[in-house]
Amino acid sequence: MSAKKDREKRREERQQRQSEAAENARRERLIKLASAAAFLAIVAVAVAVVISQSQTSGGDTNLENIDEVETDLANIPQHRLTLGLSTAKVKLVEFGDLQCPICREFAVNVLPELIENKVRTGEARLEFRNYPILGPESVTAAPAAIAAGEQNRGWDFIELFYKNQGTENTGYVSEEFLTSIAKGAKVPDIPRWNRDREGARAKAEVKHTTAEAEQLGFGGTPSFAVEGPGTKGLEPLGTPGSLGEFEEAIDDAA
Amino acid sequence: MSAPSEGTLRAVTTFVAAFGIGVAAYIAIAEAGGGAPACLAGGGGCETVAESQYADLAGINVAVIGIAGYVLLLVTALLRGDGARMGGFAISLAGFGFSVYLTYLELFVIEAICQWCVISAILMTVLFGLNALRMLRYTGIEP
Repeated sequence: MSAKKDREKRREERQQRQSEAAENARRERLIKLASAAAFLAIVAVAVAVVISQSQTSGGDTNLENIDEVETDLANIPQHRLTLGLSTAKVKLVEFGDLQCPICREFAVNVLPELIENKVRTGEARLEFRNYPILGPESVTAAPAAIAAGEQNRGWDFIELFYKNQGTENTGYVSEEFLTSIAKGAKVPDIPRWNRDREGARAKAEVKHTTAEAEQLGFGGTPSFAVEGPGTKGLEPLGTPGSLGEFEEAIDDAA
Repeated sequence: MSAPSEGTLRAVTTFVAAFGIGVAAYIAIAEAGGGAPACLAGGGGCETVAESQYADLAGINVAVIGIAGYVLLLVTALLRGDGARMGGFAISLAGFGFSVYLTYLELFVIEAICQWCVISAILMTVLFGLNALRMLRYTGIEP
């Protein structure tokens, strides 16, 4: 009887040892497999994050020329996308695409002096109208300029955008880039700017100015038009090549 | 407290993954039409998120990646064995990690919230919990 009990006890102990060993083996296997699975998952997420972040690079969010833009535009009234006194007799309209490199050339090489000679003096006011023709990122950028204009920082936004422009449609016109331009342009209410640029009104305005540019026969950017006492409504100028030509057109329209 | 049976875990995972496929498919279809999912509480959050450059990953819409993730999780829930347990755990961990990243982008970079993306992030978190429990409790025990 006692021998039988002993055998049973030994068997139970053996079974317990076996089950403990099996549980330990299971745990070890679990740790190995789980570590491998977790490693793979972490690598997958890291790759996704790197790809996602690299998509946004290419735009320069360390903005250049903020001071220069501020100096160019200092103390000149802005209303929406119009720069200059509302009493100025002549209105010079730029149909531009924020991604367009030639528009940038104009903004860098001609505009500062034109502003100094004709806008600051009250002879002309300058109006920007979006004509986004270079692709999807132009279409994204256009309402952002209008939204900045809603807070009367439109020209700061446009000038700063041009001066920090990247290569067309390479993904640089990101939320981050646009926001950095808006902040650099000192748009006071960024959440409002975000709402406005996403709103139907800004998009409708882009559509309207695009149709207007086409109606005037413009096939590229920047294209200019002038209106004053000496013109019959808004007259297309095309793309004048020099500061002198712009000044002459403004004088003729006055 | 005893853990739910593996059958229960698999059934719940199947249901949640199927729901996830529905949510991700809705986002993908709405964005494919050039629009955005309709925000439940109004506002332009979904539109802002859908139009941001983070809406695509290497040219593939993030919602489409989401559909693929949920489908894989559905498959691992339907299959038996350690391979399915580990696969489900790894995929749901990756999905959970990616959801955390996307939610971070919404809150701090895009500064707009799309409820559909939040729903998907919650579903992915639940799936991660279910798959982690299944893996920890049942790996090596049952076939």
